[in-house]
Amino acid sequence: MKWSEAIAVLLVMGVISVIGNMLGYKEALGKDLTYGQFIAEAATGYGIMFTIALLGIACSKYLPGKLPMVFWVSVLATLSTVPQVSPWAKEIGYYTGKVDFLALATPILAFAGLSFGKDIEKFKTMSWRIVVVALTVYTGTFICAAVVAQFLLKYEGII
Amino acid sequence: MEILKSWKVHAFALIIVVISEMIGTKKVALGPGVLLFLPMLYAMIIGAVISLPKLKALNLSEMNISAKCLGIATLMLIAKLGVLMGPNLVKLMQSGLALSFQEVGHFFGTIIFGLPVALALGLGREAIGATYSIDREPNIAIIAEKYGLDSPEGRGVMAVYICGTLFGAVWLGFVAGFIASLNILHPYALAMGAGVGSGSMMAASSGAIAAAVPSMAKDILMYAGASNLLTSVIGVYFALFVSLPVTVFLYEKLSPIIGVSQRRRIEGGKQA
Repeated sequence: MKWSEAIAVLLVMGVISVIGNMLGYKEALGKDLTYGQFIAEAATGYGIMFTIALLGIACSKYLPGKLPMVFWVSVLATLSTVPQVSPWAKEIGYYTGKVDFLALATPILAFAGLSFGKDIEKFKTMSWRIVVVALTVYTGTFICAAVVAQFLLKYEGII
Repeated sequence: MEILKSWKVHAFALIIVVISEMIGTKKVALGPGVLLFLPMLYAMIIGAVISLPKLKALNLSEMNISAKCLGIATLMLIAKLGVLMGPNLVKLMQSGLALSFQEVGHFFGTIIFGLPVALALGLGREAIGATYSIDREPNIAIIAEKYGLDSPEGRGVMAVYICGTLFGAVWLGFVAGFIASLNILHPYALAMGAGVGSGSMMAASSGAIAAAVPSMAKDILMYAGASNLLTSVIGVYFALFVSLPVTVFLYEKLSPIIGVSQRRRIEGGKQA
């Protein structure tokens, strides 16, 4: 992945998510803020996550071990809000808290939808059987993991 | 900067998000549970309609760019889940046992459910590629290297990959939201289940669980994030060294028992 591409996409994504965030989640996340303040705080929060994402990409590109980007972004983001590690944990937590998870998920699924057409021809050549199998596979991994987790969370006394 | 030149994709994405968020979340009762209609679901469906080749709104290269954007943008979800995990790292570690072992559920859940169904429906060696994992990009790479994508195993992995791209997120969003509304499994356990190892599917399923149980939303996303991280990081190795050999082994044991007549019928049909 090229740097210019990553930066461009994440910036476009930022504009879209901050707008979506204002339309759908103002009630839940910023009741006591004016629209201007809410947008400014959410944009700050997005900016922080944007920086973390770029640092994560850099780590995955330049550090030895070839660990995936997902790993680095996740580790850096987590450490950024651990109070014992990050001096700005509280601020980062506050501002990123102004961007709803679903406000980020909606544009991502919009992109997923917009790429739908490219697979539709291939899909038409497939039998209905494989569709049933695919949905079973996805359901299976979700339910199996949840059931195992249920037993062990009980055992550990967490639920 | 091919990606920015395809302004049409981004303009569509913006319009879709605006419409979807304006509609907002809707709940529909279904039997004992609730089906959640979240903005991301409308977003995916509106996007899919726009991209239908018949409409000619987007060309193939624009659709490919959209898929590329999807991959990059998913990093923001990962970052968001990360900043949610930080303050609760201790809490997360206390559930270390559950977190580690639910991964086993992720890896074998595809086989336990998928393989018997695939065999019963009459699939041959396609079943191996189709059910050894959730068939995202790294899993395709493994099959491509081992069997080639022209092999039956390769066709199986590609078919499930395509289905996942087309319906995976929508389907898991519904399933997860519905099961969460049934109150059988604890939302934390479901959250761990939601970390299936695909960004869009994880977003849809964990988002749906969080929306079904809003009072625990933060913890739900935290557990989902941790689980998804584990799945994505160890997933490739596990799929390669454990899931695939186990699937091949089970296929050889089970295929003479399940779906023999089905397979014969399908193959007979092909010859005729």
